[in-house]
Amino acid sequence: MLEIKNLHASVEGKEILKGINLTINPGEVHAIMGPNGSGKSTLASVLAGREEFEVTEGSVTYKGIDLLELAPEERAREGVFLAFQYPVEIPGVTTTNFLKTAVNQVRESRGEKPLDAVSFLKLMKEKMKLVDINQSLLSRSLNEGFSGGEKKRNEIFQMAMLEPALSILDETDSGLDIDALKIVADGVNTLKTKETATIVVTHYQRLLNYIVPDFVHVLLNGRIVKSGTKALALELEDKGYDWIKEETAAV
Amino acid sequence: MEVVDRNTEELLINHYSQLLETDPLGGLRKAAREAFLKLGLPAKKAEAYKYTLIARILGKNFDFTALTEPATSWKKEACQDKFYPNDEANHLVFTNGLYNQEFSKIKSSSADLVIETIDSQSLENIADLKQNLGALTDDKQDAFAWLNLATFSQGLFLHSLKNKDNLPTYIYHFNDAPAAAVSMPRVLALVESGSRLRVYEKTFRSGEANHLTNSLVEVDVKANGELRWTKLQNQTMADYAIEGFYGIQERDSRIYTNTFTFKTALTRNNLYLSLDAENCETHMHGLYHLNQTSHVDNYTSVDHTKPNSFSNELYKGIVDEKAHAVFNGKIYVRPQAQKTNAFQSNNNIILSDDAKVNTKPQLEIWADDVKCSHGCTTGQLDEEAIFYLRSRGIAKQHAKALMLNAFASETVQEVQDEHIRAEVENLILNKLGV
Ligand SMILES: Nc1ncnc2c1ncn2[C@@H]1O[C@H](COP(=O)(O)OP(=O)(O)O)[C@@H](O)[C@H]1O
Ligand SMILES: [Mg+2]
Repeated sequence: MLEIKNLHASVEGKEILKGINLTINPGEVHAIMGPNGSGKSTLASVLAGREEFEVTEGSVTYKGIDLLELAPEERAREGVFLAFQYPVEIPGVTTTNFLKTAVNQVRESRGEKPLDAVSFLKLMKEKMKLVDINQSLLSRSLNEGFSGGEKKRNEIFQMAMLEPALSILDETDSGLDIDALKIVADGVNTLKTKETATIVVTHYQRLLNYIVPDFVHVLLNGRIVKSGTKALALELEDKGYDWIKEETAAV
Repeated sequence: MEVVDRNTEELLINHYSQLLETDPLGGLRKAAREAFLKLGLPAKKAEAYKYTLIARILGKNFDFTALTEPATSWKKEACQDKFYPNDEANHLVFTNGLYNQEFSKIKSSSADLVIETIDSQSLENIADLKQNLGALTDDKQDAFAWLNLATFSQGLFLHSLKNKDNLPTYIYHFNDAPAAAVSMPRVLALVESGSRLRVYEKTFRSGEANHLTNSLVEVDVKANGELRWTKLQNQTMADYAIEGFYGIQERDSRIYTNTFTFKTALTRNNLYLSLDAENCETHMHGLYHLNQTSHVDNYTSVDHTKPNSFSNELYKGIVDEKAHAVFNGKIYVRPQAQKTNAFQSNNNIILSDDAKVNTKPQLEIWADDVKCSHGCTTGQLDEEAIFYLRSRGIAKQHAKALMLNAFASETVQEVQDEHIRAEVENLILNKLGV
């Protein structure tokens, strides 16, 4: 589904990703872990098409197409979804209005008819239950004045509405209390199918108890320096990152 | 005749020499003519026209020796076709600056709302008219107001009688410019105590040549009266306008103005409101959404002379391509105007490197127990927000439109008339190409 080869990316002339290789198949969950500043959000942003990052080398193939050639909205329409680490506040635009535009533009790109007000509302109601988000939040300006937890929940709600094939969750767990974490994880798990894949970017092992990864990768200084199974996440929780840094430095 | 020696002012005013000779306004015209010539068009150094070199712009685009009286190619039916689909309303027509009663459709009873042509006859017969015409502009040093007074004919008098809740009133200006021409529409509105009047004003044109409008509206709102006035300025790159709006308020009264500007070669709005009693409320809203080389200058002044009044001014601007927007907001709080609340803000979004905004708040506060605030911002669209919207599948242009619409909505929501509101919303979207 996704094949990243030797991906290099820079911002303001500074190289941040220094040769990432990663292959993801349908149905898989990959966790990407690593200390602050190692490039996790950069990788997520490059996949979603943020223009301030310049890809200097390498390739990303998604469902057989060159992902890097596509504009952010085209990627979304092809089924790529990024749950932002820091969701943006947009005054004056309600979540409902925004999502209606998004859902219908995605549908239109697939040659489907736009949803009318009634069908859209029905879809919303159904997906709201999934992440236990309430109506009043959705009629407010997008993320404006939302608590950290509400913002993250809103990200997963948007994911539920758009039903992506490849979801990238960038630290969706940070700032969530344990109850909210369970709800969000349940939502993600419900949306998972044999055809979809998930990249879970996280700092902490905690989330991975609920969204169980098939693979765990450690990103350090712009490179994936170690890959393993869920056991690796537990080991990291136990021992921190220093031993990997030393191991990498020794190589 | 040696025209080359004459200055612009004389050329302009002599264009109306016939009117001046008859002077049906009982000396008013002649006095206005003198005042205009004495004051002259704002000179290059005029502070109030710092960013709008009006005499130069007009001089460059109008041959004042060859101004014409525009012909009326607008037929009654063509005008009425443009009316908003609202039967429970008055639709009043100006053609080339002259109020045209015959083309208008009046629904209100004259026991609620008196609608009259301002001419020598009505000036003689209607005391309220004679008393108030030109009353608000004589101390304002506004050459264009004098010019209008010296040269207008067939103005419109609206008199909203006591305790009447009036039907909405649309004023349409139909201009026609086969050659460079000027029009001088004038409206006087009196809103008696406890009554309500809502006016929506819009302009159409035909012909290709440059057209100059120098309009003037005077409003006097009595105790506990309410006036709402919306101007929709969406013309062509051959339209030049100076639009004066002067208002005075008595106690407990309310004035709401909305000024929307979308397209124009040059528009200068002079908005002067005087809160001349206690417990007045004034809301001045504006939105300009400009591209090409449109130039809009909103010059506003709100004058608190008595205690306990409230004014709130909000102008928003979206400025694209090579457009230029100017905002000047004056707030005066006189010594006896204690407990005044006066707020002002002007927010701009610039969409291109060549677009320009000049914004200037000017607060002059002599009273000490007041709450006043002002703020101006000029910035760009938040790229981060646009990326966020795009990452959900929304096209870039549409993402921008969503955000600009949200930015503008505060001013659009103020408009009570659904036809105008829908038109403004569409104009915003059309301009963004979505
Ligand atoms: N827009 C940007 N401009 C400059 N530097 C950036 C920008 N975004 C990220 N960086 C830098 O890139 C590095 C990786 O950041 P990031 O991908 O956010 O790390 P992580 O998500 O793993 O904490 C950091 O050193 C950060 O300062
Ligand atoms: Mg990060």
